[in-house]
This record gives sequence, C-alpha cells and structure tokens, in this order.
Amino acid sequence: MTEDKIKNLLQEADRMAGPPAQARVDLSVLRRRAGRRRLVSLGGSVAAAAVLMIALGIWSLTIKTPEPTREQERIITLEAQVNQLRTSTDAALALIHEVLEDERRQSQLDELEAKLASIPDPLEEIRKQVDKTAFILVYQADRLYRELNETKSAVETYNRVIRLFPRNQWAAVARQRLSEIENRRI
Amino acid sequence: MAEMIDDELLVEQFSRGDESVFDRIVERYSADVGALANRLLGWPGEVEDVSQEVFLAAYLGLKRFRCKCSLKSWLFTITINKCRSHRRKQLLRLRTFSRAADKAPSPPAQTAHENPVDVETFNRIRSAVAALPAKYREPVVLRYLQELPTDEIGQILGISQNALHVRLSRARKHLKGNLNQQIER
Repeated sequence: MTEDKIKNLLQEADRMAGPPAQARVDLSVLRRRAGRRRLVSLGGSVAAAAVLMIALGIWSLTIKTPEPTREQERIITLEAQVNQLRTSTDAALALIHEVLEDERRQSQLDELEAKLASIPDPLEEIRKQVDKTAFILVYQADRLYRELNETKSAVETYNRVIRLFPRNQWAAVARQRLSEIENRRI
Repeated sequence: MAEMIDDELLVEQFSRGDESVFDRIVERYSADVGALANRLLGWPGEVEDVSQEVFLAAYLGLKRFRCKCSLKSWLFTITINKCRSHRRKQLLRLRTFSRAADKAPSPPAQTAHENPVDVETFNRIRSAVAALPAKYREPVVLRYLQELPTDEIGQILGISQNALHVRLSRARKHLKGNLNQQIER
C-alpha cells in the first residue's frame, strides 16, 4: 500500500518536473573528444614508459655499490672463516673415512691370512702319509720275519717298500733288513 | 527482442570498424539516458553534460562490450556511474563555494488540473529523493520511475535480487519518514 503511494508520489513529481530538455549529443564533438582521449591515453602510456626508461637509466648510472660498514666487514670475515672451517672439516672427515676404510681392509686381509695359515700344507701332508705308510709296511714286514718267521713274505714287503718309496728313510731300513736276512742265509 | 538483435548487429558493425552506426545508437537511446540522468540528478540535472560523458564512454568502450546484457542496460550502468561522479564533483564544488547554489530549482509552471502535486509537495519529494544515499536512490529511480524489472535492475547495479529488495525497502522507509504528510493525504 505504502509502496504504491510512494510510487505514485514519485511519478507525479516526475511528471511535474517534465522530461529533460532534449539532451543534444553532439556526435562531432563526441568523436573529437574520443580521439583526443585515445591520443592522451596512448601519449600517457608512451610518456610513462619513457619516464620509466629514463629513471632506470639514471638509476643504473648513478647507483653505486655502498661502502660496507664495519659490521658488514665483520660479517664477511666471519662468513669466510666459517667457509674455511667447513672446508677443513670436510677434508678431515674425508681423511677419517679413508683411514677407517684402510683399517677395515687390513683386518679383512689379516683374517684371510690367518685362515690360510690354518690350512695344512698338502705336500707336507702327503710326505707324512707316505712316511707313515712306509713305516707301517716295514713294521709289518719286521713282524712277519721276527715273530711269525714268514721270511718270504717279509722279503716281498721290504722290496715293495724299496720299490714304492725308494728315497724314503724306511726304504733304507728295508734295505738294511734285506741285507741282514741275506747275511743270515749265507 | 528484435531491438536486442538489432543492437547486437550495431555493436558488431561498430566492432568491425564502422563507427557511423554509433549515430543510430545515440539516436535510439539518448532520450532514455537523458531521462535517467535527469531523475538521478534530481529534476532537473545537468543532463546534457552527463549524456555527453555517457556516450563518450560508450564510444570508447563499445568494442569491449560483449552483449552479456542489453545495450540499454549497459548504457544505464554507465549513466549511473557518470551520475555518481557528477554528484561527487557537484558536492565538492558546493563545499568549496558555499551552499548558495543549492537553491531548489522551481518546477515548470503548471496549472492545478494538469498536475495534482503542488510546488511545495514537489520540492519536498525532490528533497526527500535527493536526501537518499545513492545506493537507495538508484534502485528507487530504476524501479518506480524507469519501471524496469528487478532482474534488470540487479544486473545494472551489479547486486543480487535480495540486496535489491533490501535496498528498496530501506529506501521506502526513508521516503516514508520524510514524506509522511504527503503519503497520509
């Protein structure tokens, strides 16, 4: 209700004020102004760019590296010292790593050598086995000859020892026994 | 609808470089723009200056117009903005050079039977509308005097429907407070 009344009042006032005097839009003036505006905005941009370029040029010409203050110098010195310390620490660490690696390699080598040392010499082993066999044969031959009086079998065994192990000490013993038997037969 | 299509064609032609079509746009909308400016500036306003500014802005910006709203709405948006800046300039001028110039202009002489509103009432209404803050005066003018649909007003002012209804309601409250006597009559 109030809305309608307000609307009516406003419209009545509007009617009373009447239409505006015909606003004449002068198109030639408008085009001239538009052209001027465009020119101004373009000129403005160009001028702004030029000013910026000049300012940059002046700035780059006049700018000086400021003298470092005492505090800045101290900071620079400290930074240099820190860098130096860092370099030497890195070098020391590298050396420590190298030494540790060497030690590790050395201990591995020692272990391998100990293992190798624990393995018996195969030639010596064979020599021992040969010696043992020769001894057993001579021992058996002695028993055949002395305890069982099997002179023939004992002579065969002594000869076998001489044939199989000619350079062994028991071959010499076998030869000695054979000569004893020969001497006794004579 | 035909008008809108015609507007689109005019805009397209203008964008292609045929600036002569702008004459038709001015011819078609200068009366509407003038009427809106007159109402926003408070019966009567400096309509000629504002119209010139509006069409100058339109001439410079028409190539960027994307037809998301009607050409009329776009021109109305420009008119509102130009009226705001015009009023700001006016206020600055008034503050600088006293308030002597703030005399209410007398309405055109009309006989009683031609119009039911007398001069005193007209001046009261004029003052009440002029006293409204711009954010309330603009919706009032667009809704009650231009009689535009609310969705178009929202588009022109760049506000939601809810905001528009709130502003209209507050504007009515202001007007009711100032024009109580005339409303009760």
